[in-house]
Amino acid sequence: MNAVLARLKEKLALDPLTVKQFKRFRSIKRGYYSAVVLGVMIALSFGAELLVNSRALVVSYQGELFFPTYGDIIPGRTFGLDYDYETDYRELDRLLEERGGAEGWVLMPPVPYDALENDLRAGVYPPYPPSVESGHYLGTDSTGRDVLARLIYGFRIAFAFSFLLLLCNYLIGIAVGCAMGFWGGLFDLIFQRVIEIWNMVPTLYVIMIVASIVVPTFWTLAAVMVLFGWTAMTWNMRTSTYKEKSREYVLAARALGASNPRMIGSHVIPNTISVIVTFIPFSIAGGITLLTALDYLGFGLPPPTPSWGELLSQGTSNLGSPWIVYSVVTAIGLVLVMVNYIGEAIREAFDPKKFTYYE
Amino acid sequence: MTSYFIRRFLLIIPTFIGVTILVFTLTRLVPGGPIERMLSEAAQAGAGETSTISDYDGRGGSMLSDEQLEDLKAYYGFDKPVIVGYFEWLGKVLVLDLGRSTRYNDPVWETIRDRLPISIFYGVCTLIITYGVCIPLGIFKAIRHKSVFDNLTSAVVFAGYAIPSYVVAIFLLTAFAANLEWFPLGGFVSDDFADFTLMEKIADLFDHAALPLIAYVAGSFAFTTMLMKNSLMDNLAAEYVRTAVAKGLDFRGAIFGHAFRNSLIPIATSFGNNITLIITGSFLIEKIFNIDGFGLLGFESLVERDYPVVMGILVISALLFLIGNILSDICVAIVDPRVKFGSGESGQ
Repeated sequence: MNAVLARLKEKLALDPLTVKQFKRFRSIKRGYYSAVVLGVMIALSFGAELLVNSRALVVSYQGELFFPTYGDIIPGRTFGLDYDYETDYRELDRLLEERGGAEGWVLMPPVPYDALENDLRAGVYPPYPPSVESGHYLGTDSTGRDVLARLIYGFRIAFAFSFLLLLCNYLIGIAVGCAMGFWGGLFDLIFQRVIEIWNMVPTLYVIMIVASIVVPTFWTLAAVMVLFGWTAMTWNMRTSTYKEKSREYVLAARALGASNPRMIGSHVIPNTISVIVTFIPFSIAGGITLLTALDYLGFGLPPPTPSWGELLSQGTSNLGSPWIVYSVVTAIGLVLVMVNYIGEAIREAFDPKKFTYYE
Repeated sequence: MTSYFIRRFLLIIPTFIGVTILVFTLTRLVPGGPIERMLSEAAQAGAGETSTISDYDGRGGSMLSDEQLEDLKAYYGFDKPVIVGYFEWLGKVLVLDLGRSTRYNDPVWETIRDRLPISIFYGVCTLIITYGVCIPLGIFKAIRHKSVFDNLTSAVVFAGYAIPSYVVAIFLLTAFAANLEWFPLGGFVSDDFADFTLMEKIADLFDHAALPLIAYVAGSFAFTTMLMKNSLMDNLAAEYVRTAVAKGLDFRGAIFGHAFRNSLIPIATSFGNNITLIITGSFLIEKIFNIDGFGLLGFESLVERDYPVVMGILVISALLFLIGNILSDICVAIVDPRVKFGSGESGQ
């Protein structure tokens, strides 16, 4: 038993090289702080319902507490209003305040709007400019939806989408790329041509074709993108497998009688891991860029899904309301710059270049 | 070496056939092709003029008889099986006939040719600016490694790299064209361009080109600059430069006489791919600034299902891409005599 535990501990213990790489990563301030900030942003975005929502966080009504954020809708009658559909909490807030707060109170999230709701007012037409008073801190889009809410929910969707793409692309890419590099020969040659052909097919075209047959959903869109996205990682893995395969330690393993799966699984792949890790941030950035471009062109996620690309296209058709474009550009810029700084730092941590330079 | 490049050129053929066959088949499989589009347009136009005419033959008020429909299909070659249609198309391409656009009814080649000067103008300008700025900047950054200037330009260059060029384009359009009104809102030249004097023409051209060029260039700066910087630093750290300095060569001589020439090799590897960049450009930037170039033509023909143009553009861009890859290798072979292609592992 103890022996098993000891072995487990040995397996779990971080390799000193990994520790060193992590330390090096931490020492690159630009990348490290970007990682921290982005990590917090992603974590927060998973609780976005608590920060940006038209539902109240807490309602205290006649001595009873309600938490409407998650779960079923609470009809207006519960709070003594005269309708059965979902309570308008902003209205309720105003109402209870007018009555002096004796009946109860409402605690709204910092941004009291949902990404999908149209805040329309009599007499004025959206897009409304940013105003602290109305709670639209970044204004609204042309149908009166809150820009900040759509940015935050769009961020969550874009990131989830990119992670999914990354996972699928890398699984296929590592498997096929390793096989190509390891076996080489005819298999390699055929797949090289397949990839070359595949790369030439305009992805946008296929997505448009799919869009003309079925309405693209999150999953179909991801499937089409994986169909054409796996080639990049495959190519990288092929090259690095080729390099590793010709190294002495693989030859030694082969001489010791290691099987192909063993040579690939415990020798080649662990040694190409730095290549894989280094590409992750750039793949994430690429996924976000691609999804945003598709949404911008109108071939992305179906409306009314909150998305950055859709906001951009609204912004370009409402050039008189520059707050839409400015907000989205700032958001995309910040996120992608941070992702790239992380990527740059990871690359440097894995492959430190010590340069000679003359003062 | 020569045999290697001949082999590479021969490999273009299967790839080219593979790509075109794939896309050709796709165009045939998709609903809403040019015939359907023309029918629905004819029906709409007809409905606008004479609302009384309507034949309920299940084709949504088609104005054409079945016979005419067959004629139309035959005219565009939609009446044959995919594979027969493909080889007919390929046969025409081999004698440089790309067919007629279903949207403009002009020969595809003329449609494409009209857009080429615009794309080439942007491509060449981008190329000149990129290399003109990146190589000196890269050298300077390598010499002043870790200085304030180096860190500052790195941050800027990386930001430009990280933000997609279409986002930069949208921002520039909103800020400097729509709100500050410093630049025109798009297009290649003004409407009354023909009446201008030469100086006015040049001024007008660059007035329109300024914002798109910034968007084009912003993304390509980082790659070339960092490549230049890193490879120069690699070379500066190399033994032969140290030897040269030790033997009394001054720093300037060491950089420009030895290190710089070798650092251009990685830059040369990507040079061949510029041929694609020059012609095709970015359809997103062209769309945002409403520039009637090659990229926008490709996008519009996709949206409008103008298949002959789609295929024509595919032919040109595929050939350019494949030739560009080989050109890159030739460039490498020219600048670096140590490189021997075709022995052992040949895939780049």
